[in-house]
Amino acid sequence: MSRLLHWASLRFYLQHPWQLGIAIAGIGLGVGVYVGVQLANDSAARAFDLSAALVRGQTSHRLLPIGANLDETVYRDVIIEHGIATAAPVIEAVVGIASRTDLRVPLLGIDPLQERGIRSYSGFAPARGGGDLGRLMAEPGTVLLPRALAAELGADPGTHLTLRIEGRDVDVTVLGTIPSLGADIAAEPPVLADIATAQELLGLGGRLSRIDLRLTEQQAQRLAGALMPGAILVPVDRQGGAFTELAAAFRTNLTALGLLALVVGTFLIYGTMSFAILQRRTTLGVLRAIGVSRGELIGSVLVEAFAVALAATVLGLAFGHWLAIGLVELVLRTIGDLYFSAAVIAAKPSPWIYAEGAALGMGATLLAAAKPALDAARASPALVLRRAALERGARRGARWATLAAIVLLALSGLILALGPNELYIAFGGLFAVLAAGALLTPAATVLLMRGIDRALGRRLGLPAVLAIRGVSASLSRTGVATAALAVAIATVNGVGLMITSFRTSLGDWLDTSLTADLYVSFDSAGNTRADPALLRAIEGIEGVAGLSLTRTVLVPTANGEIAVRAVRPGPRGWGLELVDGQPEAAFTALAEGRGVLASERLMFARTMKLGDALTLPTPSGLRQLPIVGAFRDFNTGNYSVVLALERYQREWNDFGITGIGVDLTDSADSAIAEQALRDTLAGRTAARVRSSSGIERLSLEVFDRTFKITEVLRVLAAVVAFLGVLSALLAIELERAHELGVLRALGFSPRGLAATLLTQTGLLGVAAGLMAIPLGTALAALLVHVINRRSFGWSMSFVVTAEPLLAGLALAVAAALLAGVYPAWRASRVELAAALREE
Amino acid sequence: MTNSAWIELRDVAKAYGHQVVLESASLTVRRGEFVAAVGRSGSGKSTLLRLIGGLESADSGFVRVAGTDLNALSEAARALRRRQELGFVFQFFNLIPTLTVGENVELPLALNDVTAQAARRRSRELLGELGLGDSADRFPEELSGGEQQRVAIARAVVHEPKLVLADEPTGNLDAETASQVLELLRHSCRERQATLVVATHSVEVAAQADRMISIRAGRIRDEAP
Repeated sequence: MSRLLHWASLRFYLQHPWQLGIAIAGIGLGVGVYVGVQLANDSAARAFDLSAALVRGQTSHRLLPIGANLDETVYRDVIIEHGIATAAPVIEAVVGIASRTDLRVPLLGIDPLQERGIRSYSGFAPARGGGDLGRLMAEPGTVLLPRALAAELGADPGTHLTLRIEGRDVDVTVLGTIPSLGADIAAEPPVLADIATAQELLGLGGRLSRIDLRLTEQQAQRLAGALMPGAILVPVDRQGGAFTELAAAFRTNLTALGLLALVVGTFLIYGTMSFAILQRRTTLGVLRAIGVSRGELIGSVLVEAFAVALAATVLGLAFGHWLAIGLVELVLRTIGDLYFSAAVIAAKPSPWIYAEGAALGMGATLLAAAKPALDAARASPALVLRRAALERGARRGARWATLAAIVLLALSGLILALGPNELYIAFGGLFAVLAAGALLTPAATVLLMRGIDRALGRRLGLPAVLAIRGVSASLSRTGVATAALAVAIATVNGVGLMITSFRTSLGDWLDTSLTADLYVSFDSAGNTRADPALLRAIEGIEGVAGLSLTRTVLVPTANGEIAVRAVRPGPRGWGLELVDGQPEAAFTALAEGRGVLASERLMFARTMKLGDALTLPTPSGLRQLPIVGAFRDFNTGNYSVVLALERYQREWNDFGITGIGVDLTDSADSAIAEQALRDTLAGRTAARVRSSSGIERLSLEVFDRTFKITEVLRVLAAVVAFLGVLSALLAIELERAHELGVLRALGFSPRGLAATLLTQTGLLGVAAGLMAIPLGTALAALLVHVINRRSFGWSMSFVVTAEPLLAGLALAVAAALLAGVYPAWRASRVELAAALREE
Repeated sequence: MTNSAWIELRDVAKAYGHQVVLESASLTVRRGEFVAAVGRSGSGKSTLLRLIGGLESADSGFVRVAGTDLNALSEAARALRRRQELGFVFQFFNLIPTLTVGENVELPLALNDVTAQAARRRSRELLGELGLGDSADRFPEELSGGEQQRVAIARAVVHEPKLVLADEPTGNLDAETASQVLELLRHSCRERQATLVVATHSVEVAAQADRMISIRAGRIRDEAP
């Protein structure tokens, strides 16, 4: 019996290949998007982890400078006084290439003799040219180049290369190249030099960036207790906390978007399987009548679903693999843009992701097929369901779905308000709201159509009434498709509104933060002092109204590495927007050096509040500074605090600066002033000059690039929804062939019939588009106030504009109309005699 | 056109694949005549109706209605003719489930650009005449089979067509209801001077026709009434 049932199923799909195709495409796209995103995420994560591990090696701890850099004597003390042999001095900086002004590369200065105990640089062995690490020591002014960079620059072993460091051009000799480590990592290695060469190149004689250590627990305790001036011991896993958290949050967001595509895909498979069952309800009724058991029918439908899922999943995995190739570039570029300065190339992702995608695809399909399978089993052997009874059942179902949606909304509200402050809980809430929206859609569609019918129906004429009522009358078919379309469009709306809100907030923040007209930045590795003569020269430029000075240093703390921005504000103030605290009191306390302002990201991530004391290590010991306010900060690097420059200089005894903000008078010509500034700086120091408008433009470019990936996913979600509508409409067209034949017999012209059907699909799009407006707005509110807050610690204004919502409505109508074209065309060409014969 | 040949089929052939349904079939029907076509299942009765209604074309020969060769008309022109000059009654009623009874009857008027108000008035009058005045705002599924067929008749004649085609109009009804429905159909057509062609298995139905034809082996023959 079961063999015959399977044959019957197979023949059904062979007779309706489009149905099979759409089901496979839907679930395949869902699986593909999920797998693609996961592969890209994993590949990027592994690339970063491996590249970090490459530099970190077996380092367990680091001695970091409190301030700019370490005195070399600290290294000597570690080796001699504390008897620690596994210690490696490091100089790290970013340098320019004279022949390629657009290129900046990381430079790592190491002591090859000390490296063996810390990290294996065997992988750094020169690939060609015969050089080795020993020659780096023996031959001053030599470097090893990453192989890709050497090829790009055409720098063969033995050739000279001119590096641009702090405005100076310095010649080095290329000893050889460094290949990538291992087969599955292609993280770009740094330019490698001996530590003495690096110190000389960077003008850091007797100074170090840090000391990498491999310590036992006892050694670490002993060293932490020892007083080492200007240095602090930090376990490596405590470093880069902000980066790790942000990158993880970014990846979680992407995973959620991938899952969303799978959810929409599941809708599609549910719709398709339901249609397939509904279309065969007569056959199923007959089968039940002749003695096929419920179990056999359920089994038959599930086997059918399994076969569809298998084909779809295989295709989905292939699609995901292909998609990942494009996505990984976007993910890497985004993470690189936001969190890393060095370029990293994709690593091989874990093969388990394919298994995960396959399991999800199969699971989602079988889950989606479960209800249609049960419906099939419930088909009464005595009474084959009449269409009208079926639609009545669908309307009853819509009422139950509405109740379920209300319960779901209440639950998700409670969880979001009272549940733990975790990101996954927030995503749970978001998915629950989406599910509630989907459940509400069929009932909302019926209400909307009833409203349109009552208000306009008769005025528009009976063909229009036919179209309007056709939407509600086919609820068993259109309900799922409209819900899928509404969810997809709500996603587009929600993400669109979130991006608008974010971009607006970012723009406002940049306007607030970029108080100066021109900015001069100095390489952080340098020790540029605020040379009074230079400052006077800049102030003397025509049109300059005043200067602000900044010194930014990374300070290791119990809360991870924190960027301390020591600021002396210019005439236009601090350029900070307070999100917590009394502005007047806070800025006074800040100016007088009585406290710090903390970024809201830091406050959120470390659950700090106003008045808490932040402990910062200074060369003269730990200092506790009260937090007097929290400022908005869309920076993606380390958590940061702002401190008065004078207080910083007093505590850290560091008079270097990393940035100068130049305020111009209203009447000044900024282009002339910028050129004059460049002329003033030329030859004096290594500095980059950028205008505030340039920084703003660049920031927004990075922002737009960051959200490019969401566009890809939004398009894919829309395609899946489009397929859902197409599938539903084709099913309706097939089912209503007889009714359409009658309409033709009554005198509807083919064009008139097509117009009626297109009106119906357009209305379906309107219903989905209208439903997507509140749903998308709720989604955006959750993304802005909950997801982004919990992911990144950013608070932003929630900006609701009509434009993205109307665009969503237009997209819904366009997708529905587009999906309706083919079914309408087919319906208009229905063979009258055949359609009427089907009695 | 003469009064003696308002519908004219000459040497009409129609086949579905290898199955020949009509072969060299000829027929003339006068204006206002009530003709019953009888024959076994699959003999071609429904095909004959669909050819006369312009729902499909003959493979050869010609089908003329009111002097117009239907084969020569485009699909749009045939749709226009159906809309204006034809009424259809089906065995399974084929009312549009999403329209109310009143709206189903209004549909042909709406297609003929009669104003909504006039169409509504006309449909209510007609439903009243057919004893369904109270059912205008109900949906078809709320009516019995006999009532649904009466609505179908109202829909077929509301726009005063010159020709009404009925395919087994009583095939799905009990004997008493069938008799009432047939009488109603006959009366409605006669009142409007509409030609009525009915395809039926029923001897009782055929007995009430002005003329009875039978289809056998693809040919049409006149039978004694």
